[in-house]
Amino acid sequence: MMRKKEMKLVVTFHTTADAMAMEKACKEKQVPGRLIPVPRAISAGCGLAWCTGLEDRKAIEELMKDIGIEEEQIHECLV
Amino acid sequence: MNFTDSKKKLLLAGAICGIIAAVLAKLGNPANMAFCIACFLRDTAGALKLHTTETVQYVRPETIGIVLGAFGIAVATKEYRSSAGSSPMIRFLLGMMIMIGSLVFLGCPLRMVLRMSAGDLNAWVALIGFAAGVGTGAFFLKRGFSLSRAYETNKISGTVAPALMLGIFILSFVTVGGVALLATSKTGPGSMHAPIIASLIGGILFGVVAQKSRMCFAGGIRDMILVRSFDLISVIAGLFVVMLIYNVATGNFHIGFTGQPIAHAQHLWNILGMYVVGFAAVLAGGCPLRQLVLAGQGSQDAAVTVLGMFAGAAAAHNFGLAASAAAAATADAPAVAGGPGTAGKAAVIICIVLLFVIAVCNKRKTAK
Repeated sequence: MMRKKEMKLVVTFHTTADAMAMEKACKEKQVPGRLIPVPRAISAGCGLAWCTGLEDRKAIEELMKDIGIEEEQIHECLV
Repeated sequence: MNFTDSKKKLLLAGAICGIIAAVLAKLGNPANMAFCIACFLRDTAGALKLHTTETVQYVRPETIGIVLGAFGIAVATKEYRSSAGSSPMIRFLLGMMIMIGSLVFLGCPLRMVLRMSAGDLNAWVALIGFAAGVGTGAFFLKRGFSLSRAYETNKISGTVAPALMLGIFILSFVTVGGVALLATSKTGPGSMHAPIIASLIGGILFGVVAQKSRMCFAGGIRDMILVRSFDLISVIAGLFVVMLIYNVATGNFHIGFTGQPIAHAQHLWNILGMYVVGFAAVLAGGCPLRQLVLAGQGSQDAAVTVLGMFAGAAAAHNFGLAASAAAAATADAPAVAGGPGTAGKAAVIICIVLLFVIAVCNKRKTAK
């Protein structure tokens, strides 16, 4: 059965390593979310993105500032 | 058409590429080599006389078409991004190693899947090596491997790779004093090909579909390992199923290790050759097909990887690194087991060592 798509916050990065570092930091700081392949709708690239709830935007932005990860873009899209 | 909003459409994208490959096989491309990025770049390198192995010289319009198709669709859908600067020389080396590994196995990951669909068990053995290589690359990605980010460049810069490809295609028709400028094989795999226009159209369509679906043989396994995503592997599954049906329907399906066209049964070297390809492709961010597509949509880092593949093809044939195909005994010649020679085996070992060095030495820089 197909999972229903929901609006999510999707953070793309300049490198896959940044996405990996994000996953590690989020796990450590218990910030919710998971790694997903970058949705095709937002990029023709094939890296990984961090996907989380729309309500977690602030926590994500603060964490990224804190650990020095620069996002490529932050999208809101159906995942 | 949006190929990516469901697995069914991703399967369809793979199936379309499978049909293109089947048609090109029917129209004259070599057996089990309907579409092989490594072999076709190697043939093109031969046509340009970067190597002079007479049986594998031909400008393959398919590879040119892929770059042009990806470029065209990327421009049309505003996805063209001219970018560069992500460790280009390391990517050049990775391109060389992808090609050397491919030519030891005798095929890129795309041909590996085509050979698998024709019952060539050597390709199934090689899949073990390929998956292990992708797994090793994924392990290093987890540990923070990075070739650092690319930056946007002047738009024109990203058009150089598609323009060069178009240039090679045009040069393939040029004669000087009645002699063709570029070389074309009279015998061997290089002499077997579909009509030029069919090859070009097939390549362009393949490039368009591959760009839209982000088809990638290394990425498919990488995403399964890293994020349990089966999207990219669905495309490959679609391709495999169509080619399997085609091979069974046309009597091309022969299960076994021996008697397979342009293949050898040196299991260890099939595994290690494709291990190099899988490992290098993950570090470079894509399989040979994906590198062509990325080069088409403006990535000069991918274009440098493609140049590395050309150089790798030249090295593989000039220095005897490429494996030879197995052959049955004939009235004039004894049977040949095929496989890589000593130089090819040494090259594979050197590639594996070098890949570990590259994987260990290129770590993501932390900002703080």
